[in-house]
Amino acid sequence: MNMKSLTANIRGIATLPLLLTVAAIILLFLLPKFVTSTYALHIMILIFISVIMGSAWNILGGYTGQYSVGHAAYFGVGAYTTMILLQYRHIAPWYGVWAGVAVAVATGLVIGSICFRLRGPYFVLASIAVAEIFRVSALNLPGLTNGAEGILITEVPPFKIGNAVITDFMSKVPFYYIGLVIAIAVILATRLVQNSKLGYYFQAIREDQDAAHSLGINLTLYKNAALAISAIFTSLAGSLYGLYVGFIDPGTVLDLGLSVQIVMTCIIGGIGTVLGPMVGAVVLVPFSEALRSNMIAQALIDSGLVKEDSPIGTFLKEQLSHAHVLIYGILLVVVILFMPDGILGFIKKLLASKRKETA
Amino acid sequence: MAAQRCGQEAHLALPGLEKVTQFEGAGSKDHVPGQLTSLLLAPCSYFLYYMIVFFQSLISGILIGGVYALIGIGLTIIFGVMRVINFAHGDILMIGMYMTYFLFTVFHIDPFVSIVITIPLMFLFGAFLQKVFINRALNALPQNQILLTIGMGLVMSNTVMLAFTSDYKILTTTYSSSSVEILGISVSEPLVVSFAITVAITAALYWFLYKTDMGQAIRATAQDREAAQLMGINVKRMSIIAFGIGSALAGTAGALISPTYYIFPQVGSVFTLKAFVITVLGGMGSIVGATLGGVLIGVAESVGGVYIGSGWKDVIVFILFLLVLLFKPSGLLGTSKD
Repeated sequence: MNMKSLTANIRGIATLPLLLTVAAIILLFLLPKFVTSTYALHIMILIFISVIMGSAWNILGGYTGQYSVGHAAYFGVGAYTTMILLQYRHIAPWYGVWAGVAVAVATGLVIGSICFRLRGPYFVLASIAVAEIFRVSALNLPGLTNGAEGILITEVPPFKIGNAVITDFMSKVPFYYIGLVIAIAVILATRLVQNSKLGYYFQAIREDQDAAHSLGINLTLYKNAALAISAIFTSLAGSLYGLYVGFIDPGTVLDLGLSVQIVMTCIIGGIGTVLGPMVGAVVLVPFSEALRSNMIAQALIDSGLVKEDSPIGTFLKEQLSHAHVLIYGILLVVVILFMPDGILGFIKKLLASKRKETA
Repeated sequence: MAAQRCGQEAHLALPGLEKVTQFEGAGSKDHVPGQLTSLLLAPCSYFLYYMIVFFQSLISGILIGGVYALIGIGLTIIFGVMRVINFAHGDILMIGMYMTYFLFTVFHIDPFVSIVITIPLMFLFGAFLQKVFINRALNALPQNQILLTIGMGLVMSNTVMLAFTSDYKILTTTYSSSSVEILGISVSEPLVVSFAITVAITAALYWFLYKTDMGQAIRATAQDREAAQLMGINVKRMSIIAFGIGSALAGTAGALISPTYYIFPQVGSVFTLKAFVITVLGGMGSIVGATLGGVLIGVAESVGGVYIGSGWKDVIVFILFLLVLLFKPSGLLGTSKD
C-alpha cells in the first residue's frame, strides 16, 4: 500500500464518520484518566482483546471466506511462546511477543499450505482438527508447556527505555493502552485490506474461488497471505491475554470453545465488515461478564422481579453465572436463523425497509 | 484363526515369562536347567506377550469401533440427506448418556435394556431439532449451518450443565469392570455386549435403508434432493426422519458407552470430532464407509494408545483425518459428489 492510495483511502472516508472515529479514539485514550474503576478497565481490556481476535479472524473469514474454526491455535501459539520465553528463558515480553507472532505466522503458513487445498466444510473440519492437535500436544508436552497445569507467570519485568521506566505493569492501565493500540492497528489493517488490491483479491476468492482462479489469482498464495495477517493479530491478542491474566493453560488458550467465540464475535456483529467485530465484542463481552459475575441475577433480584429467597431467585443466583456459554449458544442460533448478516446487517436491512416505506 | 492360535499359545507362554523374571531376580544356581530353558523360551515368550498385547488392543479397538460406527453412520445419514454437518452430534450422544444414566439410577433399568426407551425418545428429539432449527437453515451457507449446529450443541451441553452440574457421573453396573475371555484374550464385558447390540442395530439399519420403501426414499433424497422430490418423495419428511435416525443412533451409542465412560456435560465435543473423522474417513454420506471408518478409528485409537501413549491417541486420530482429507478427500469408500 503506497502513500497515494492511503491518502485516497482517507479522503474516501466521509468527513463525519472520520471526525467521529477520531473523537472516539481520543476519548478512548483519555478514558483511564477519568475512569479509575479497575472493573471498568478490566471489561475494556477484554473488549479490546475480543476486537483484536474478531477483526483478525474477519480478515481470513469475513474477507477471504475461509471459515477457520481453529483460530485458537494461533492465539495459543502466540500466548505460549511469549509466556514460555518470559517464564523459563527470562526474555522480556516486548521481545517475546514478536517471537510469538513469528511462530504463529510460521505455523499458520504450514497449516495453510496444507489445509487451503480443502474447501467449505472440509476446511472447517481440518482447521478444527489442527487446533485440537495443538491442544492435545500442549497437554502432552509438559517439558515445553507444563502440560495441563499451564504456565503461571510470577512477574512481568518493567518496560524501560534507557534507564527510564515507562511502566511497571502493576496496574491495568498499561494493558489498556496496549490493547487499545493493537485494536486500532487491527481495525486500520482491516480498512487498508478492504480497499487495497490485496483485499480485492481476498474478496474475489470469497465470492467465487474458481472464477478468481481463472482470472489468475493464486489461491493458495492469497489465502496464506490472509491467514498470515490474521495470525499476526490473533497471536498478539493471545500474548496480551496471557500477560494480562498472568496464566494460560491448554483448556483456555487452545480450546475449541475459544475458536468458536472468535468466530461468534464476527458473526454476531456482522461478517466481512470493519465494524462487525467491534459491535460483536461490545455486545458479547459485557453481557457474558455480567452473567459471569452474577450481576444480572442480582439486578433481577434488586429490581423486585424475582424474590431472593424464592426457588427461582436462589436458582438464578447459583446458576446464572455458569450460563454465559449457554447464552452464547442461544445467541449463535438466533443470529444464524434470524440475522444471518449479524446485528449490523440486521440494522441496515431495517433502515432500508424503513426508507422504502417513507419513499 | 491366527488370533485364536496365538491366544492359546500365549496362555502357555505367559508362565514362562514369569519364570524368566523370577530366575533373574533369584539368581540361584540350583535351577540351571530351568534357567537354560527359560533363556531359550525368553525371546519366544516376549514375542508372544507382545502378540497378546497387540491382539488385545486390536480386539478392543474393533469392539469400541462398533460403537464409533453407530455414531458415524448417524452423522453420515444426516449429512447425506441434508448436506448439513451436524456439530451437535456429540451433544446429542451426551443427552443419550444422561438419559441412560437417569433411567438406570431412578428406574433401575439396565443401560443395555434401556435403549428400547432411548431410541424412540432420541428419534423424537432429533426430529424436533430438524423441524424447528435445521430446516430453517437448509439453504444457508454451509459455514453458517455449521455455526448453527455448534450453537445448538452449546445450548444442549450447557443446559445439561445447569440442570445436573458439571460433575462427572459414573454409571456402575455389576458388570462394568468385569471381563470375558474371547479366544484366550480377555476383553471388557460391557464392550462385548455393546458390540453385539451395535451389530444388531447396524444390520437392522441396513435392512431398513436398503430393503424398505422408506429407506429407499431416504437414500434417494441423499442421492439427489431435487430428483427425489420430482419422483414424489416428501423430502421434508425424509429429512426429519433422517435427523431422527441420526439422533437415535447417536443416543444409542451414548447409552452403549455409558457403563464404561465418565458422563459429563462436555463429553460430546470429543465424540463430535470423532464422528467427523469417521465419516470423512469412510467418505461423507457413505453408510458402508462410516461403518468401516468407525472400526478403523477404534483400532487406530486402541493400538496407537498402547504403542504411542494414551495421551496421544487423539492426535493420531486427527493426523489420520488430515491425511485422508488431503490425499483422498472423498474418503476411503466415498465417491465425490460435490
